[in-house]
Amino acid sequence: MTLNVSAYGPIVSTGLDSGQRAFPYLTALVLVPAGAALLVLLLPRARVAVVRAVGFAACTGVLGIAAAVLDEFRSGYGGYQMMSEHPWVGAFGFSWTLGVDGISLFLVLMTAVLFPVALASGMQRRDPKSFTFWVLLLESACLGSFLSVDLLLFFLFFEATLVPVYMLVAGWGHERRGYAAAKFFVYTFAASAFMLVGILALVFIHQSQTGVTTFDIRQLANTRLSGPANVLLFCAFTAALAVKAPVFPFHTWSPDAYSEAPAAGSVLLAGVMAKLGTYGIIRFDLGLFPHAVVELAPVLLTLGVIGIIYGGIVAAVQKDLKRLVAFSSLAHIGFIVVGLFALTGESLSGAVIQMVNHGLYTAALFILIAMIYERLGTFQLPKLRGLQHSAPVMAGVFTLVMLASIGVPGLNGFVGEFLILSGAFLTHRWWAVVATGGVVVAAVYLLWAYQQAFHGRPLPAAVSGGSDGPIGTGSADPGPPTGGAKAAPFREMTWREGLVLAPLVVLIVLLGVYPRPVLERITPTVNQLVLHAESAAHARIPALGRPGLTSYLHVAGAARTQGAER
Amino acid sequence: MGSLDSYLPIFVLFVLALAFAGLSVLASRLLAPRRPTAAKEAPYECGIVPTYEPAQRFPVRFYVVAMIYVIFDIEIVFLFPWAVVYGQLGRFGLVEIVVFAASVFFSLLYLLSTGSLDWGPVKRVRPLAGRLERTTASTVRRHGATGTGDEGSGRAA
Amino acid sequence: MIGLESLRGLQGALLGAGGIVLPHIDYTAILPELILLGGMLLLLVVAALSPRRLATEFYATATVGIGIASLVASLVLWKDVVSHGPFTAVAKSLDIDGFAVLFLVLVSCVLIVAPMLAVGYLRREGIEGCEYYVLALISGSGAMFMASANDLVLVFLALEVLSLPLYVLAGFDRRRAASSEAAIKYFVLGAFSSAIFVYGIALTYGATGSTNLGQIAAFLARNVLTSNGVLLGGVALLLCGFAFKIAAVPFHMWSPDVYQGAPTPATGFMAALAKAGGFAALLRVFVTSFPTLRSSWQPVIWVVAILTLVLGASFAVVQRDIKRMLAYSSINHAGFILLGLQAATAQGVAASLYYLFIYAFLVLGSFAVVTLVAGRGDDQHDLSRYRGLARRQPVLAGSFTVLLIAQAGAPFTTGFFSKLYVLQAAVAAHSYALAAVAMGSAAIATFFYLRVVFLMYSGSAPVEAGVSPELVEPGAASLAAPALAMAAPSGQALASGLVAAGGAGVEPAWAKRSGGGSGASGEGDGAEPPGEATTGVPETPLSSSPWTVAGLGICVGATVLFGIWPEPIIEFARLATTIF
Repeated sequence: MTLNVSAYGPIVSTGLDSGQRAFPYLTALVLVPAGAALLVLLLPRARVAVVRAVGFAACTGVLGIAAAVLDEFRSGYGGYQMMSEHPWVGAFGFSWTLGVDGISLFLVLMTAVLFPVALASGMQRRDPKSFTFWVLLLESACLGSFLSVDLLLFFLFFEATLVPVYMLVAGWGHERRGYAAAKFFVYTFAASAFMLVGILALVFIHQSQTGVTTFDIRQLANTRLSGPANVLLFCAFTAALAVKAPVFPFHTWSPDAYSEAPAAGSVLLAGVMAKLGTYGIIRFDLGLFPHAVVELAPVLLTLGVIGIIYGGIVAAVQKDLKRLVAFSSLAHIGFIVVGLFALTGESLSGAVIQMVNHGLYTAALFILIAMIYERLGTFQLPKLRGLQHSAPVMAGVFTLVMLASIGVPGLNGFVGEFLILSGAFLTHRWWAVVATGGVVVAAVYLLWAYQQAFHGRPLPAAVSGGSDGPIGTGSADPGPPTGGAKAAPFREMTWREGLVLAPLVVLIVLLGVYPRPVLERITPTVNQLVLHAESAAHARIPALGRPGLTSYLHVAGAARTQGAER
Repeated sequence: MGSLDSYLPIFVLFVLALAFAGLSVLASRLLAPRRPTAAKEAPYECGIVPTYEPAQRFPVRFYVVAMIYVIFDIEIVFLFPWAVVYGQLGRFGLVEIVVFAASVFFSLLYLLSTGSLDWGPVKRVRPLAGRLERTTASTVRRHGATGTGDEGSGRAA
Repeated sequence: MIGLESLRGLQGALLGAGGIVLPHIDYTAILPELILLGGMLLLLVVAALSPRRLATEFYATATVGIGIASLVASLVLWKDVVSHGPFTAVAKSLDIDGFAVLFLVLVSCVLIVAPMLAVGYLRREGIEGCEYYVLALISGSGAMFMASANDLVLVFLALEVLSLPLYVLAGFDRRRAASSEAAIKYFVLGAFSSAIFVYGIALTYGATGSTNLGQIAAFLARNVLTSNGVLLGGVALLLCGFAFKIAAVPFHMWSPDVYQGAPTPATGFMAALAKAGGFAALLRVFVTSFPTLRSSWQPVIWVVAILTLVLGASFAVVQRDIKRMLAYSSINHAGFILLGLQAATAQGVAASLYYLFIYAFLVLGSFAVVTLVAGRGDDQHDLSRYRGLARRQPVLAGSFTVLLIAQAGAPFTTGFFSKLYVLQAAVAAHSYALAAVAMGSAAIATFFYLRVVFLMYSGSAPVEAGVSPELVEPGAASLAAPALAMAAPSGQALASGLVAAGGAGVEPAWAKRSGGGSGASGEGDGAEPPGEATTGVPETPLSSSPWTVAGLGICVGATVLFGIWPEPIIEFARLATTIF
């Protein structure tokens, strides 16, 4: 393991070597879950307890390593840290290069938090061995994606996430799981086809300029690209990333996949997988094609804003609670996209922190919904009423998470959305104004849903009515027989369920009240990225003649708004 | 070089051949009187009305022997030119032809060992078609001298 | 004795003044081929002379030994080529270069693994004997000659030596009508394509005055032939002949039928060897002899590659028979390998070589698994047979998973790097659209590979009302779906087409299953009857033959090992091309 801290610019830091050569944290982050997955594979299927123990031990271990990474992370520094570099395939210039910076640090932490939670929430389902195996494999792939500094390595992990998710959705999902899993798979895989071609094209161009075949994004960032090449490559990358995120017109797989997936699958899809897309946008689109980003920012911003409004409106008319959250997720991703393409330090920091926040509260929402489903066997809002009578604690937690999702100050959702909107307002005023409307819409649909489900008088009989075992996914569920639960009141949250949700709730409140340490670590990297984008875009658009990208955007935004007023 | 001109004679010959064949058929169609009868339409028109259709199946042995014959025929075809220029080829030629002849001889050995040249009841060297109880004798027995016997029943499941 | 007279005349013409000029025959250059043919004859003689029947294991051992011997000889040749550079042998009709030696090594490897995978099958079906191995060895020598041939006539001879035993192997299980049908189909179409190929040779000879690849290239370099009909016609016919061998799309019709009908281990062998041989000659002839005509044949290859990629993947989706599915998938793979040819660069050729090398192991292993699952009789190939395989035979299912996801191009398997390599070559040759289409087809392909994987692991899952994912199997009505996907290969149309393909088959399949009335009652805890699928023919357990275990182990091991550590083979392929 060597330590390399040069990032986009010529910044060379000194004195970071001490103490970090000791342990390859990042490699361990990727390999621990993968190794545990293999171990689980070798365990006998009947030893459920052992399988669970190994799964949790691995996830907790990863969380511990992630915490150690946070501890080792030097705040105030923008480049990659704790690099782990090993050449892999010399002929391709492909190497195992992992690094963490302010952008990826908290996404890694969020991933490390969400996986144990997801594993716990999905544990009672059938076939825990396979389930644990796929979840651990997915964790390895997700962490690998966030940590990769090598473009091909990123793609490798990015693709590797697909198989576990397909298996999780298709194997443990709800009624239309086959359809949803296939749609998800084909969509995302077909889209990432463009990305691979884009990667290879970029590497080829870089090679023809420098003679060096490499996939290292730090070197590729210095490739000189002509205008059209820049835009085409940007489109190729964005195609894959926008589908994964999903950004508005490419989202059609997501409501199906989110709502048909098991609880753990939804948590991971919306919480972690979606972030792969947005993370890819900030890391690769902004890092590699700043020129195209500047050129196409209005288009992407518009898509983001449409996503916010469209997602909100569609969510408002959903009768299915899970689909509602799926569409609200689309709206929140829209916020992130606006933050990314507004191209200010503030909005970018906001986008990064919003990624983390969205992961936390969406995960909590999906888990809460899964709890309701386990008790009543339905996601249909009209069949839910008065739940807070018999389950006040659950109602309280739901309220808290919901308020975080709406973006109420004091909870984590507010921090990200505020930064994004205030940052975007500087450069793209009208987009920000319309996006703010999305916050209101979010309040509308979530409060409505809450009102319907938790307020009012409880329904006299069990909602599902029929005698067909309503919990679709498992006759093997050890939960109480739902037929007998007909007359019984809605069950309160159990201790175990509370324990699953506790870390998320704590983080939601903590990040809402005291986001400073997080921002401290994000900001330097984001600033460096903005600087890089500035200089790169500058070099290619000399006609601008302005000292900085942000100021250019100020002027351009102002001009545009004037034009709009006229 | 490389132009199509040199192929012109071939092409002309091709056209001539086609024309001749076409004209012959056409002429016989136009000129000959056409009064078909059943006897004339029969596949083997020789004046005798066939009493039964010719046998559909031939013992496969005939084909095997025919093929073996062709192989050894080819060996002879190779031996002729070798014998003619033996003087020039010298030791190299001798070695090569011995290798060639040995290969063919080995295959003959193999054929003998599998009973390809045995006539009469087949002795199976290995149960290749162990479940198929069919020999030359059984085929004759089943199909009778006329070859119109029940075909499928002999085949074991 | 008219023959003798005319021969004397011929002799006079030949001898002229100087007498026959004997070519120097460098036996070391053809040692691997000689080992195969000599070993083959030896096997034949032993089989003929031995007083009692020898076990099939004996022949397999001997064949593996012969394969290892030729592998060693090939490696010696490799060392020779690396240290002394490439050379031509036997009157310049053989070109011993890195390219050729790579194929010698590849064919040797195939000949080592293939007999291992056939032993269990031959014993199970009661068709033991030396023939299978003898035919495999002859075919292997043909493939070797094909790779090193430097003369179109020799290419043709090698092609026939490669193909004729394969025709016989396709019909090897002659009690099964499907096998005989496959052999006839393969033979008739193969013979036809050979005829086309020979005609191509004739036209090329007519245009360039030589059949020697080097001399053709030299002639074309000296003389500028623009739109020469004879030459272009010859090249086109040669391409047709090769395209048949490698099953590229307009000439692919035979492959699903033949793959389906042929004995399963023979199918794997055929897929590995015929593709290797066909591509070896195709690459050599086109890249070394006709580089000056590149602008003429590159667009053709471009179109063929796109068709091969898209149709191969699309039609595989609607197959219910695993062998047909793998046949179409091999067509799709051929498309990928064509990317390397289309690039027509050293990098492209190296990529194709690498792809061929790893593909041989993938396809051999895959068909070995299919052989076992099919059970005695070798005709149970329906996808439903794979349901719950993981519960019954976890190791077998695991191996198949690795092989399938490697074929899909999953990371950390050889499949990923092979696809990456050809795509890199295509991008470097500015064939961006082709690369994008290839990746799109890989997306479709991944879908059907994963479907099988999912079936294997879905096991005795409690079946619920509605759509189970494993029922995403096409019905007859969904044949329109690939057409849709072809017509508009944009992401959305593709997805909806595929999903439609999946959806259409759902109803009858589900109805059938619930009509069966079994398996819906929850987990049986391993008490599943082993052959629950369709008929009572049980699967062959993997443990039934240590040979199969060893062969499959090699295939899976190579797939994983070289997937994580691809450097050696990539280096090999790269070096082979630089010495080219």
